Amino acid sequence: MTASVLAAGVLEDTIRAFFQGLPIGAGFALVAMSFVLTYKTSGVFNLAFGAQAFISAATYFELHVRRDWPIWSAVLVAVVLVAPVLGLLLERLIFRHVHASSAVAKLVISLGLLVALPELFKLIVDYNREQPFGAVGIIPNGTTVYRLFGRYPVTRDEIAAFVIVVAAAVALAALFRYTRLGLRIRAVVQSPRMTELNGVNADWVSSGSWMLSSFFAGLAGVLLVPTTSSLGTVLEPTGYFPIVISALAAAALGRLVSLPAALFGGLLLGVVTTQMRTHVPRNNVILAELQGPALPYVMLFAIIVFWPAIRRQVAGADPLLGVSPPPPALAATSRSQGMTIYTRIMALAFFTAVGIFAFGYANNFWISRITHSVIFSIIFLSIVVFTGLGGQIALCQVTFAAIGAFGAMQFAQRWDISVIVGMLAGAAIAAAVGAVLSIPVMRLGGIWLAIATLAFALFFHDVLVKYSWVGGSLFHGRGVPRPEFLGVDFSSRENFLILCVAILVLVGVLVILIRESSTGMALRALRGSETAAESIGVISWRSRVIVFSVSAGIAAIGGGLLAMEERLVGYEANFDPQTGLFWLVIVVVLGARTVEGGIQAGVAFVIFPELVLHRWLGLDGAWRYVLFGFAAISFARHPEGLLEHGKRRSQAMMQRMFARREPAMAPVGAGAGAPAGAGPTADAEAETGDEP
Amino acid sequence: MSLLVADGITKRFAGITALQDVSIALEKGERVGLIGPNGAGKTTLFNCLLGLLRPDVGSVDFDGQDITRLPVYRRARLGIGRTFQRVELFSGSSVRDHLLFAHRIRSGTGALWKDVLGLGLPKPAEIERCDDLLESLGLGGMGDEPIEALSLGQSRLVEVARALMTQPRVVLLDEPSSGLDRAETNALAETLARIQSEQGFGLLLVEHDVELVASFTKRTYVLNFGRLITSGATPEVMRDPEVRAAYLGDFVAGTP
Repeated sequence: MTASVLAAGVLEDTIRAFFQGLPIGAGFALVAMSFVLTYKTSGVFNLAFGAQAFISAATYFELHVRRDWPIWSAVLVAVVLVAPVLGLLLERLIFRHVHASSAVAKLVISLGLLVALPELFKLIVDYNREQPFGAVGIIPNGTTVYRLFGRYPVTRDEIAAFVIVVAAAVALAALFRYTRLGLRIRAVVQSPRMTELNGVNADWVSSGSWMLSSFFAGLAGVLLVPTTSSLGTVLEPTGYFPIVISALAAAALGRLVSLPAALFGGLLLGVVTTQMRTHVPRNNVILAELQGPALPYVMLFAIIVFWPAIRRQVAGADPLLGVSPPPPALAATSRSQGMTIYTRIMALAFFTAVGIFAFGYANNFWISRITHSVIFSIIFLSIVVFTGLGGQIALCQVTFAAIGAFGAMQFAQRWDISVIVGMLAGAAIAAAVGAVLSIPVMRLGGIWLAIATLAFALFFHDVLVKYSWVGGSLFHGRGVPRPEFLGVDFSSRENFLILCVAILVLVGVLVILIRESSTGMALRALRGSETAAESIGVISWRSRVIVFSVSAGIAAIGGGLLAMEERLVGYEANFDPQTGLFWLVIVVVLGARTVEGGIQAGVAFVIFPELVLHRWLGLDGAWRYVLFGFAAISFARHPEGLLEHGKRRSQAMMQRMFARREPAMAPVGAGAGAPAGAGPTADAEAETGDEP
Repeated sequence: MSLLVADGITKRFAGITALQDVSIALEKGERVGLIGPNGAGKTTLFNCLLGLLRPDVGSVDFDGQDITRLPVYRRARLGIGRTFQRVELFSGSSVRDHLLFAHRIRSGTGALWKDVLGLGLPKPAEIERCDDLLESLGLGGMGDEPIEALSLGQSRLVEVARALMTQPRVVLLDEPSSGLDRAETNALAETLARIQSEQGFGLLLVEHDVELVASFTKRTYVLNFGRLITSGATPEVMRDPEVRAAYLGDFVAGTP
């Protein structure tokens, strides 16, 4: 074996990997261009593309494989009909009405859709998740192998994917460069409000582009199935996460606004993926991970952190963004004394009733549900801290909760240390991980922070959990004991519930203290004006990193308690990244700005599907994803949450009633923050503005 | 030695020279104006002093220390305060919170562990201190108002108050008269002059409104096309023919 033969072998491997990478990259490029398209036209960073791709692919397989429709008609319905109509509906019914909202609000809406759409599809179509569909492409005999230059194998599916994507990219580029529509689209992207002032109707511009991008997503969904291993043989929406992440990385290379960069970025990342698989040795654990599941997340994170164009983009923002009204003052700050006393009595009565029920009458099932509600309230307070107070979106709270759970488990299993200590150690680890993770991305904020944290959550899910020092080993199992400390045995259900309530009270007080003190002021200042905050000496990212770390610790404490309650770490059931998205959605929908909002979300998360959906309405529990997912749309108009909004409305109503009865009574308590009219006027505005 | 010195600042943007070898100095407790027509480079110079931009050539010194490469927040902590042309306040906070927060930042008493132990809640002494300053700026009794309830003139005063709570040694005012009518501008100038002479900080006024600069400052720098065309005692500068041609000529003709 001479050196030249070896070199020739390496060269041949490289060329083969190049040709294998192009079709994969073409798929990334297609989704990346969809991202760019909707981001350019409506400023929506649409994470729901994963769901849209899934719906088209699932429709295609439902029709073609299960109902034996011919390929062409199944493609026609799934890609040419369903996908654009879905895009049009999303734009007309949802995104048209929020186009002036912040990028973060739009991101939350798309998260809600990502949660809701696949579940709705499964409920409507009676989609059978058990039956494997097989990887069937849209080209007849797609697995036929050709040999490029006589030696490099490519399948018909791969050639089709590549050709279709390049053709789509060329057509799109022509649209942007040479048509009036293209010019208007670019103007709309710069500042929707500014463009409207100049007489361009920003709305109709986006309809077309949503149909187009949804078509792209659907096409990618169908094209990618035969070429991508992560989709497997059972089509599930989560299978699209790695693709969406790779596509995001490609789109990020062009700062989400450059279509050519998205195209070439996608192709490049596809080729990088196959080259890594070919050339990187597998003998090292880390290197082996980098060839497989870890690669998309590492690429995305690296691009967000190191790509200079993103940093520059963050500086430029919509010049009229400051016109948006600030979030209204909390209902509690404009409440009369009588109302405050009344509310407190009601709350006390409610909790007393729950307590009497739990300790006197409830069976084991309901005690366990109540304990779950309390624990999820603790976890959701971590979202209240970071999203409600900090105004930023992070999608990896679920990961921190898992770290807390695994911490409790590992300490108990390995060293026989009390689970409480293990849980606290897990919280400390989560806080440290949160700080390290967020330092490089916190300066970017907004959607970049959300994407980076999503990449981390998926990285943990696909890579880290498999290590025994994180997720435990099959041999030991994932059992977690209930704690025993200070001489009290908390292994009984009732005692453990008391412990959880005590911790919830502690964490709740902690959150209120943070909100009312320097840290809370810093967060409000940064939300209001980062430039002004820096002008008085605030290091803008530092406060956020601290708060992120606190929130990570809180989530980990909740995660540890959850593991103790269930006596094992139910990772798949409780700590899936998809579940984490739903956590965020339910908290922001119900009220992320107050401690009670977090508690209400915790109760709703556990009790609502069981009691309302299942027992009263006799519906599938999956409807909760649909209901709360679509309810995320309300975030754009009521960022304070629906319950807080409803509270303000009913409070305003009751205060008007009181005021009529006792005209001498002042409508606002002494020293209250908002002027008397704030509540009612905000509501009147919401009432008139609600219907399009 | 001067308190704030910009020495030989040159700044180019993609081939356009926004500032060409500009030097200015501000003494302790002095009121200085910086005027010039649109596009003269006022804002660029302002941003170089504050750290939002880094000059290509030249240096910025504060109290004998080279601060050319320091970020914005470090300069703020050294004692450079500012206000904004387009008011930048912390929406969702009360008027008093603006001052309280600035005070906490300055005194370094905003640590998380204090919040957690309940020591971070506003203390009576702090509240009194904030309310005293609000009182002297004519905003007495407005501490609990949400910031959105204030008029533009009052908002500017809150910006000034916020800057003053950081105990600055120099305050840079970025076109404080923009958006205000003549009466409001005069009221603002009066309050500023009083509080400046009470507290003795240096004040650099970047302005469009020549009348305000003439009545308010002792010394003035005039920029045009990125160059310093003249500087000196304000009344003399206003009489300078080059200044009148470049800037006041327009003003006299009625197109400010």
